[in-house]
Amino acid sequence: MNSFWNGKRRFVALLMLLAGVFVALRVPPVIPFIQLPGENFPEGFNVPFTDIRLTNTFAGSVIVWILLLLFVIYVSRRRPKSGNEVPPGGFYNMFEALFEGLMGFVGGIAGGRHFRLIFNMFMTIFLVVLLANWMELVPGVDTVGFIHPHVKEKYDVDSGEYKVITTDGYEIYQGFLGISYVNGQCDWISPADEAAADEAALVEAKAAAAAAEQASIEDAAYARYQAAHGEHGEETDSTDASSDGHGDDAHSSESGESDAAAAAYDEVLAARVAAKQARADRSCYTGVGPVPWADDYVGDDKADKKKSIPLHPDPRGEEAKLVPWVVLPFVRVPSTDLNMTLSLALISFVMIQFIGFKALGIGYLTKFFNFGTLFKSPLGGIDVAVGLLELIGDFAKILSFGFRLLGNIFAGSILLFVMSFLVPILPWPFFILEFFVGVIQALVFALLTAIFMNLATVSHHHDDDHDHAEAH
Amino acid sequence: MDPQSTIILGKAIGAGLAMIGAAGGGIGIGLAVGGAVQAMGRNPDHTATIQVNMILGVAFAEAVAIYALVVSLIILFVLS
Repeated sequence: MNSFWNGKRRFVALLMLLAGVFVALRVPPVIPFIQLPGENFPEGFNVPFTDIRLTNTFAGSVIVWILLLLFVIYVSRRRPKSGNEVPPGGFYNMFEALFEGLMGFVGGIAGGRHFRLIFNMFMTIFLVVLLANWMELVPGVDTVGFIHPHVKEKYDVDSGEYKVITTDGYEIYQGFLGISYVNGQCDWISPADEAAADEAALVEAKAAAAAAEQASIEDAAYARYQAAHGEHGEETDSTDASSDGHGDDAHSSESGESDAAAAAYDEVLAARVAAKQARADRSCYTGVGPVPWADDYVGDDKADKKKSIPLHPDPRGEEAKLVPWVVLPFVRVPSTDLNMTLSLALISFVMIQFIGFKALGIGYLTKFFNFGTLFKSPLGGIDVAVGLLELIGDFAKILSFGFRLLGNIFAGSILLFVMSFLVPILPWPFFILEFFVGVIQALVFALLTAIFMNLATVSHHHDDDHDHAEAH
Repeated sequence: MDPQSTIILGKAIGAGLAMIGAAGGGIGIGLAVGGAVQAMGRNPDHTATIQVNMILGVAFAEAVAIYALVVSLIILFVLS
């Protein structure tokens, strides 16, 4: 293996650099779609027997767990069983070095009677957060996923249903190899040209509607009307094709059916003009992936406003330009979801209190409710206030832990999106930056847990420390 | 000005104002690292201890800036 790669690695790197340049030139740069809460997977990815949908950040954390389990199995199998055995090198050795280094590190801070428990907690949190943070560096995470109409879904607690809110229109772009990308080129037509063409389309559609009305009065000449209306349909179609530069024949089948169809066609055209004009000075959303299914979205909140925009259009038809299309990544970085960071913070908080009670027994509570000196010393009131402040401060730790990790990693992934958009050929210095931010945040999270756990084991009555140690 | 533009304007101004809080974090980190580097220069033997405490202090100071960041992210991406 090693001899095979000797001297070839630089060519692999060069090849990947060239591939990066090719992709950067071939796929137009686009502004990513950013959402703070984890995106719900579509229908069919529910938690078994419930209505609750899984999220892509959850998929990310499942991957983290599986990786961690594999590491645990690997390390415990490769570990030398006796002191005489020579430890294996390579990948295993990395873990041994990591554990040894961090053991000394934590031992210097929290090396006491409870070192084992504290170190276990430290190492678990460190590895989980580290793996979760580093997921943002993996290609495909955050960028490859389902392409679907952009609807905002909100879980309504009262009705127990997912309510759908649509937003404004964007377009889907057919790429090569059957892979589509959303809004690959936003400004493929200048806004002025587009507006002019849309005006023409609108006039055309109104003419079609007027013709349909007139024709409906003349019942006797129905057959003749049909022939004439068919011509009308073709005319609008040809102006459409010239107006937006895309050959399309989605409307030719619709037109020429009845009075109501003509009116609806008029409405669609008017809506299309509105959507296109709104789109002219807006940025684009992006992503890469297969276009999967016709979504079954129900319950549009803004149904009155967007009546003529189809909620589940054919991705390849003209209608698809009326609805926004975005990528729902298969996997998103778990640390960018508040659910993950807050639950880790809660675990850390519970462990801090647990080790406090374990070390000091019920006396641990005097840290918070310190009424012992209230009547003994003139400054007893201050002790009570300090204790209550400690209580509030302990709960504030949950928020502080959770938001620190979330903010850092979410901001980091946005940085990566934006830099990939601004400098698509050379975003990798920021990947190196995020590599280090991931390590530092994992270390800070774990280290703060270790330090607070260590603090909780120390009685704050320094003078009667020994009494406590002997009593428990 | 149509309502949608007004909303975007308000969001942008609010998010920008929220990020003023990051200045405090920056000052704090600067002070902490400056002090730590001076201390390390005076007694290099204690570099390891000082470094650990410095990273902790930086993390605490940074947390304040991160709160501001989270507020502005919520304004930008969650409020609708």
